[in-house]
Amino acid sequence: MVALPKQIEVDENYLHGGGILGWLTTIDHKRIGVLYGLTTLFFFLIGGIEALLMRIQLARPENTFLSAYLYNEMFTMHGTTMIFLVVMPVGLGFFANFLVPLQIGARDVAFPRLNALSYWIFLFGALVLNIGWLANAVPDAGWFGYANLTERYYSPGINIDFWSLGLLISGIGSVLSGLNLLVTVVNLRAPGMTFMRMPLFVWSVLVMFVLVLVAFPPLTVGLIFLVMDRFFGTHFYQVVAGATPLLWQHLFWLFGHPEVYIMVLPAFGIMSEIVPVFSRKPLYGYPVMAYSTALIGFLSYGVWAHHMFAVGMGPVADSAFALTSMLIAIPTGIKIFSWIATMWGGDLKMKTPFLFALAFIVQFTMGGLSGIMHAQPPIDLQQTDSYFVVAHFHYVLFGGSAFALLGGLYYWWPKVTGRLLDERLGKLNFWTIVIGFNLTFFPMHLLGGEGMPRRIYHYAPDMGWNTLNLLCTIGAFTMAFSVLVLLINILKTVRGGEMAGPDPWDGRTLEWKVPSPPPEYNFRQIPVVRARDQFWREKYGFETGGLQPSDAVRPPATPDALAGEIHLPAPSIYPILLAAGITMAALGMLIWTRIALCGAFLIVYCAIAMAFEYPDAGAQSAASAATATGLDTRKIGIWSFIGSESLFFASLIATYLIYKGRDLAGPTAETMLEVPLSTVTTFVLLMSSLTMVLAQDAYRRTDRLWGLRWLFATIVLGLIFLGGQVYEFNSFFHKGMTLQTNLFSQTFYTMVGFHGAHVAIGVIVLLALGAASLTGWFERHHRDVAVECAALYWHFVDIVWVVIFSVVYLMRAVTKA
Amino acid sequence: MSAQIQTETAGGAHGESRTLAYVVVAVLLAILTAMEVWISYVHALLPVLVPLLIVLSGAKFALVALFYMHLHYDSWTFSAIFLPALFIALLVVVVLVALMVRFFAGF
Repeated sequence: MVALPKQIEVDENYLHGGGILGWLTTIDHKRIGVLYGLTTLFFFLIGGIEALLMRIQLARPENTFLSAYLYNEMFTMHGTTMIFLVVMPVGLGFFANFLVPLQIGARDVAFPRLNALSYWIFLFGALVLNIGWLANAVPDAGWFGYANLTERYYSPGINIDFWSLGLLISGIGSVLSGLNLLVTVVNLRAPGMTFMRMPLFVWSVLVMFVLVLVAFPPLTVGLIFLVMDRFFGTHFYQVVAGATPLLWQHLFWLFGHPEVYIMVLPAFGIMSEIVPVFSRKPLYGYPVMAYSTALIGFLSYGVWAHHMFAVGMGPVADSAFALTSMLIAIPTGIKIFSWIATMWGGDLKMKTPFLFALAFIVQFTMGGLSGIMHAQPPIDLQQTDSYFVVAHFHYVLFGGSAFALLGGLYYWWPKVTGRLLDERLGKLNFWTIVIGFNLTFFPMHLLGGEGMPRRIYHYAPDMGWNTLNLLCTIGAFTMAFSVLVLLINILKTVRGGEMAGPDPWDGRTLEWKVPSPPPEYNFRQIPVVRARDQFWREKYGFETGGLQPSDAVRPPATPDALAGEIHLPAPSIYPILLAAGITMAALGMLIWTRIALCGAFLIVYCAIAMAFEYPDAGAQSAASAATATGLDTRKIGIWSFIGSESLFFASLIATYLIYKGRDLAGPTAETMLEVPLSTVTTFVLLMSSLTMVLAQDAYRRTDRLWGLRWLFATIVLGLIFLGGQVYEFNSFFHKGMTLQTNLFSQTFYTMVGFHGAHVAIGVIVLLALGAASLTGWFERHHRDVAVECAALYWHFVDIVWVVIFSVVYLMRAVTKA
Repeated sequence: MSAQIQTETAGGAHGESRTLAYVVVAVLLAILTAMEVWISYVHALLPVLVPLLIVLSGAKFALVALFYMHLHYDSWTFSAIFLPALFIALLVVVVLVALMVRFFAGF
């Protein structure tokens, strides 16, 4: 029995109906956005309490409020929580999820059930990260988790296991979310919404989505190595085996610096929405702002090693990364000037969102200037690991990102809830947090300059740091008071705040066109976009050039007529179950293997169930949805996934090359690898690509019989390839080469093993497709694009093997990478 | 703005088969693989083995991506998604390996 996509009541508010089960099974992007918002608010409070405890400890010298161990746990969990569970997901999960479809004129995201899955995976990952509080095993190696601190020898408990598994799990959710929203922006824009007509917020988060897809894979690989070191006895980061902990730093910061922009870009986007609305002017220099956003995204991937100047990379590397780090200030500076130019001569409305925007400009600029100081290696060497760095990144991430996010909260709260936050409490919130923030973090510049190292849990009374530290603590509690004011404001509004109406700020973008809160389907009619700031021009005329005429009277909102029946996909229980399966599989490694096996079973079952849950959905979307590119959304999704996977395998291959020839003892590629066998398996895999493309060709011609034949030929060839790998691994084991033997064995088994796992997943997918085709399900429900997507994945796995075959097997005798 | 989703773009119009092209690509892949294996055994070619293998495996990679993954036939949008990611992936490999090799060598 399959539930049909539901038809909805006219103007039914998205917040209404369904009860708790409705929220657990929701696939509505707005509800999922709200879930992200509530979750991040909860973790913001947790992270804030952790910060307060640290500030109490440092309020006076030689304090004994926290032990050294507890202090380590506090700064580890404060950083991890604020970065992974607050600032990033509030931008990606709350703002982007809620706003992107509304701003581009879409009814939902590209893959609504994947959206729900992303949230639940994120939530379970967050819980795994924090479960250590209950098990008295809190992660304590810093949010950066540097090796060797995280290795089993130095962290023998399960603290770091919670940390690494929690990050792996929540990372999957982030990547899926980024992929989903990227495809949404590319393909679900309303008619006429060209890239150069998109709101700047959408531009900003679009670049963020790309960064999420390319930045997370190196971290995932780094975490996999860490998990393997801790669980399976490999030595990816251990000097004693010829490896180096520096590899972790590279993989981590390859993620870590783009991550800074993953957190900052949504803030830039929010700024670019708030400033024009409260200045009553269009954004100054829109095209340059859009290009700057893209350039920031590109450059952000080339600056990671400026976090590593102190490790000694050499003058060439230091100079190159110093240059790119300073270059990124140019597009960022363009943004600052553009916001100022937008305000210049504007009719400024000093409402709370705009106040936060003003504070953002000042504080983010201060953080940016100290960032340019770090970009110079000689200065960075003096500042590394001092409180100056703490001051810098809090000015960027709190004074910058968090302030913009708070401004965005005040700005879009009426759209989310239908009610305005109280303005007086909002201004109290603003002023207390501005004072508290600067009181907390400005003195840290001075403390750093005076030599106070970061991550120390106490200090001697004669260091000259006492007064400044006390000021920092007072500032922290001022901020805590401010957050309390915000919470009171939220509670007051929920109980009965002023009704907002659809357009309380006289907005410019499409989300203000729909009721507040929006109906479940967002738009009665999909809007047709004729210009940038479409809604503003609809209100004041297209001939005004985005400026408000001096004699303009704001026209009353006139809702569109309902355009026929609106079908929305029905809720699903499988996303939450699948996320639970992933969590069980991960935690089972810590607790009991059978739990992990149950988790794996749940994953496979739910994945297949989700794929076949609504058989008519594909045909309906194909029949009714006109996409912005004219291309199938699912194909754009699989290509985006392949792009992200490229970075995953690139990180694995780079690690193999880095460690090649660095074994202190044991077998090498030259002594172990057998080219004849791998040549045969390579040939088999290449031919499986031929049979796969022939299957695809047959299905396209609606020749089901030949489609099935080629599909099963592909499955057989895939199984032969896997059999060859099993034989090869088995023979290596019998020759004494285990996973732990040396650097070659661990890099080889890991890289080739993960490729084999991809082939195995491909075989399972093809088996499911074959079974569906055998029963005629496929043809009944017009799912030929599923074969195309599976084929793209299969070919990608094939071309990865083309690279591995050359790099590993054929270059076996090349000793220098 | 297209009026309908182009689910059939990858293979062109319904009914048109590219079987011959696919088989030719498979033959080329097999020949290139044989060449790769052969040169890996020729001791005299060891000094230029790496660039040769990069060229040959690059050719195989391109053949599969262009013809089996249909980048040659399909919308440029897919190339616009994949190629930048591929470029960044290559950059990651080259830069990471270069940085670490220099590090191990003491710059």
